[in-house]
Amino acid sequence: MSDSAAPPPLLKEEPPGGTGRWFARGCYAAVTSVQGLVLFASMIGFGGLCRDIGFPVGAAVLSSLLIWALPAQVLVVGGYAAGNAAPVIALAVALSSVRLFPMTAALMPYLRGPKIGIGKQLIAAHFIAVTAWIEGMRRLPGIPAEWRLPFFLGLGTTFVLGAALMTFIGFLLAGTLPRSLAIGLLFLTPISFLIQLTHNARDLVDRLALGFGLIVAPFMAEVGGRLDLLWTGLIGGFAAWGVHRFLKARNTHVD
Amino acid sequence: MSIDASLWPYLLVILAGFLPTEVWRSLAVVFARRLDEDSEALILVRAIATALLAAVVARLVLLPPGELIGIPLSIRIGAVVGGLAVYYLARRSVFFGILFGELVIIAAAWYLG
Repeated sequence: MSDSAAPPPLLKEEPPGGTGRWFARGCYAAVTSVQGLVLFASMIGFGGLCRDIGFPVGAAVLSSLLIWALPAQVLVVGGYAAGNAAPVIALAVALSSVRLFPMTAALMPYLRGPKIGIGKQLIAAHFIAVTAWIEGMRRLPGIPAEWRLPFFLGLGTTFVLGAALMTFIGFLLAGTLPRSLAIGLLFLTPISFLIQLTHNARDLVDRLALGFGLIVAPFMAEVGGRLDLLWTGLIGGFAAWGVHRFLKARNTHVD
Repeated sequence: MSIDASLWPYLLVILAGFLPTEVWRSLAVVFARRLDEDSEALILVRAIATALLAAVVARLVLLPPGELIGIPLSIRIGAVVGGLAVYYLARRSVFFGILFGELVIIAAAWYLG
């Protein structure tokens, strides 16, 4: 009953170059995304900032590759300029980077699989910063589970290498940009974060979290001390989730 | 105790920059192994991350870095609100929303400068 001429079952054979193709799709998604454009422009601004401060170009580029989180990079460079001790800078960076914990925890479940060990997950996690998080949360759910990791690695690698290149270019360009344009680059981070977060917030719980965060943040900046961002995240996040749970419970009662 | 002064910025990037950021990512990878893709806990974690990023936005607008602080607060807030309005008016276009907010700030910097 076996037919020797039958083609091998399609399911068993991975499409040739599947991993490479999804990696390439990730690279393509990175260079064509608005978030990528914003990131690269922001890094030009960061490179310029480093030159103004007298931070060496090699260390500036290294910070884009290794730290890969613009607020933390600005803290390191700013701390260097102010002559702060390394432990003081490290503490400020650690506090400002707490957000990477819930961001990574929210994204990683999309990247897990039976064949993906902890080493690969740690490498993928390095690419998580606002840019790759926003793009990843938006696109990963629509990608077949087995191709999410190569796609995300392509996306992240392109973002990080592009950011490093733009840091270098920004360093070279420093002082040649008109002042109004340089100020515009500084505004790019908040305006793009907000509009991208709004764009990604499809469910009510996400919109509530965004709104609560914006409302609570100014109060926490007054009373929250150095952990004000963390307090805002916890209060805004729990409040949004609480409303979501309440509505869900009420709906199940009605049904 | 003589570290070459020219190496100091590189060490600072690794010790005071890279390690304190990467530790959060790595801890989260371990923590996330208990979360399912559709669980309520994951929705909560996502809400906390979103609210934290909203706080980052609020701080950058209220207490901006560098020369951006020279732009009056009312104009900074106006650029954010205007950018959001254009985003919705342009049928949820991220690009036009950001572009409008940027144009407001650059125009203000040029006019005030």
